[in-house]
Amino acid sequence: MQFEVIAKCRTTRARVCRMELAHGITMLPTFMPVATQAAIKGLTPQQVESLGITLILNNTYHLNLRPGIKVLDEAGGAHKFQGWNRNILTDSGGFQLVSLSKFANITEEGALFASPFNGQPTMLTPEESLSIQHSIGADIIMQLDDVVSSLTVGPRVSEAMHRSVRWLDRCIEQHEKSGRKDRQNLFAIVQGGLDPTLRDQCLDAMIARKDRVAGYAIGGLSGGEEKGNIKQCADRLPSDRPRYSMGVGFAEDLLVCVALGVDMADCVFPTRTARFGVALTFKGPLNLKLGKHTTSMEPIDKDCPCPTCASGMSRAMLHHVVTIETAGAHAVTIHNLVFQAQVMGGARDAILEGRFPEYLRAFFRDYFGDAGYPEWCVNALRSVDVDLMEGVNVPLIRGSGAKWEYSDAA
Amino acid sequence: MTQSAAAKPLGIHVPKLTFSLDQGPQFGPRVGRLCLTRWSDSLSRYAIDIPTPNFLVGTSRGAVPHLSRDHVLSANAISWINVPFESFLEHTPPVPTYQTGPQPLHNFLGFDSSKHIVSLSLRDPLDAGEMPPNGNAHVSASCMRGVRKVTIADWRSYVLTMQPDVAFALSDTPFTAAPHSQKRITKSIERSAAWLADLLRPFRNTTDDTFSESNHTHPLNVFVHMAGGASTSARKSFSHHITEILHGAEADAVKPFRCLDEGVAGYAFDLATLRMKPVPFSTGDDRGRSIEIAENSTILQELESLAEIPTPNTTHTPTSFSSSMNEPLPSISLAPTLDELLRASLNPLPIAKPRLITDVRSPHEILRLIRDIGIDVFDAGWVVKAADIGVALDFIFPVPSTHDVGPDHCNRDIGHNLYDSKYASDFTGLTDAFLAGPGHDKTPSSVSPICSCIACSPVIPSYPIRHSKADVKSHQAHSDDGVGREPFLPAFTRAYLHHLLHTHEMSAHTFLVAHNLAVLDALLTGVRTIISAHVDHNEATAVFAQEVTRFEEAYDEAMSVLHSARDNWEDVKRARGKGRLARESGKTEGK
Repeated sequence: MQFEVIAKCRTTRARVCRMELAHGITMLPTFMPVATQAAIKGLTPQQVESLGITLILNNTYHLNLRPGIKVLDEAGGAHKFQGWNRNILTDSGGFQLVSLSKFANITEEGALFASPFNGQPTMLTPEESLSIQHSIGADIIMQLDDVVSSLTVGPRVSEAMHRSVRWLDRCIEQHEKSGRKDRQNLFAIVQGGLDPTLRDQCLDAMIARKDRVAGYAIGGLSGGEEKGNIKQCADRLPSDRPRYSMGVGFAEDLLVCVALGVDMADCVFPTRTARFGVALTFKGPLNLKLGKHTTSMEPIDKDCPCPTCASGMSRAMLHHVVTIETAGAHAVTIHNLVFQAQVMGGARDAILEGRFPEYLRAFFRDYFGDAGYPEWCVNALRSVDVDLMEGVNVPLIRGSGAKWEYSDAA
Repeated sequence: MTQSAAAKPLGIHVPKLTFSLDQGPQFGPRVGRLCLTRWSDSLSRYAIDIPTPNFLVGTSRGAVPHLSRDHVLSANAISWINVPFESFLEHTPPVPTYQTGPQPLHNFLGFDSSKHIVSLSLRDPLDAGEMPPNGNAHVSASCMRGVRKVTIADWRSYVLTMQPDVAFALSDTPFTAAPHSQKRITKSIERSAAWLADLLRPFRNTTDDTFSESNHTHPLNVFVHMAGGASTSARKSFSHHITEILHGAEADAVKPFRCLDEGVAGYAFDLATLRMKPVPFSTGDDRGRSIEIAENSTILQELESLAEIPTPNTTHTPTSFSSSMNEPLPSISLAPTLDELLRASLNPLPIAKPRLITDVRSPHEILRLIRDIGIDVFDAGWVVKAADIGVALDFIFPVPSTHDVGPDHCNRDIGHNLYDSKYASDFTGLTDAFLAGPGHDKTPSSVSPICSCIACSPVIPSYPIRHSKADVKSHQAHSDDGVGREPFLPAFTRAYLHHLLHTHEMSAHTFLVAHNLAVLDALLTGVRTIISAHVDHNEATAVFAQEVTRFEEAYDEAMSVLHSARDNWEDVKRARGKGRLARESGKTEGK
């Protein structure tokens, strides 16, 4: 990997970076769409590439099950298999293991889980996870970590954090002796739950291994309340390594993370919500299933460069086909992917031009309008010297404050 | 129900559809050219040329199944798109009527007016589910909210508002259980003719009420469904009806046409209603798919369909009309063949008008209809259905000399059921008959042409969207890495499509629809090449017939690959949800 910071925001911790991997350059900060089973649902790789996307995520857990390592090896890796020639990041498989298996028992050796094929106990070790990721051939691979929910309290959190460090060492060993270090880049995952002390300890340990890891993920935190922990990690992590916040997809969340010094994030949200008929816009989400869109001849966003909006596809036509025709799912998926990319691309330009705080304020004003700003966003941004509330008279919303278009009455 | 939201358009430029035909007999293989000339607002004109035989693709709720707009536009195979209007009846007035500006139908649905002929029918021609009966002045149509009555005034208004390039006149087809009485058939003929006449009444082109040539235009190019059902005499009667000279008020109504046929741009035959015994009324997406096998019917019935076909190796029953084109089914010796029905309709009619058939089911059927009748346009529904169930079509016409053909060789399948576990590690492209993109050392020839669909010949996007100034670097650097890069990428593999099908990914069907349309396009291109290679018509007919025979011998007509694919598709569908991997691995062998 060649990694270079090319611009920094003078106010926040945001930066623009150039990351060159085996399958090309990805400019950061960026959002990574999720191609769970070797496909962005409904789209061809050429479509995804034409939308200006250069980095996608594949799920190790799913690909290991289907098509399986044997097929991937025969195909020459996941890039060739799915016809995607730009960058891929794979997760370790650990998260799905825990969330999707009938039972999962974490031991020092690895994660013991029920095989979804036949229910037999199967072990996923750090070495095995790396080996699968080597077969997949992604440009960025993740260590296997002992992940606990951010709601967990007690000694389990500490146990998981320390084990993650030990597993990182095992992953590093496995990776270095594979001979693939020049093509595939291993990221560590910082754990420690919501406990700042544990986080600090984890950061100490993992930063000490800086020369043997290519980047850092901030794990176990993917909700609004935990931004303090994200800031803590982003402040301490080396600036010459990319920082990856796993499982972040709401636009406001992405921008807050960028302001805190995060470079990349992934989430199924924009593509999944598209399939359910919700289009994301700079003025908030549009629930195209609602009656209010039945006769609207406007596109989702007349300024959007995506093929759906550029062709003038009206909200009325979208209303007629979303959730019913696959072509409707494709149309909104295409739009939402471009929306996400536009949010991040706009951020890159704003940082390069020294106006990122203004970009943040404009985004929140347009996106939330008079509905009010989520409190956690305001607080997180204040911690990097951006006061969204300055000169603005809107309510502060407790909780996630996520904006949604619920009904025709709203 | 007669209002539409948009103001009545004035100054409509009616695109003109013409059909030119190479000389030939009334019934036999023929090539022709459909030409749609369109005037733009600036009074410049451009033309769309479609050589025939060719095909149209039907839409579902206004969208080509599984293809996003960019894929529709990039599919060279697609020239003619038919839009059944009925799904839009869910809202009053129908939502597309809100579209303003020129070519409202094209624009609402995202089709290219410089490339696509777009036709409008009320009903989906492939939907032969039972419907409540029509009335004298209305047709029962089906939408998601149930049945809607569409009056002839409504239909006229929709046609004039949406300005399709081709409009299908309403026709009175009974969608109730056969057999039908003489009275019913007669009513069907009379209504269909009357409804055709209604659509042919000229419409006012300006706000000036008085009739004159200059301010009245005739409706857009009108196709008529040939009424008469499964009765040769009824069909003959309908054809005579539309060719007889009109008098009095009837003549005034469609002035300057002297008979209805003069206003007709083409003839349509819907096989769906002829094939099936209609089933009890149902809404939802079972419509048109569930059928019962006919018993003791006095009219020719389809005995199998894609939906209900028993697995192969059961007793052979004729599929569609394929094997029985020239002889009636043994048990129903007095029933007419499809051949006879088509000829009965076409005999009294001018030769040089395009003939369109919907609900063909196989390439064999297509070839025989071209050979024996001279059909010009087919619908592509069956190739889309094949894509729905995971089959990549793979046939070529004419069959190359390198293909082993004859009684000693077994038939090839017309395509590949990509659900089959044998494809799990098959890294070849979707088709054997064609080459994938020019990234191969074989050069394309007439024997092994290239399949240019997005699955076989994917292309590197030339202008990806740039989201920030910094992005210039990421795109440029990727193509400046020193490797001489061809625009084409390696073909998508059977292994990948197999994987997509088993993981229930939608992109599988995107690839397969695009591919199957390209294969159909190549079939008909091959047909046109063979027919037009000989100036002498008898020679052309003879050579074509020979090639059809070779095709029949080369490719399995029972299309067993479709049947097993349908079974597999059902299995994956049933297995979905929690625990599906365990259910699926129990079923597949050799995993």
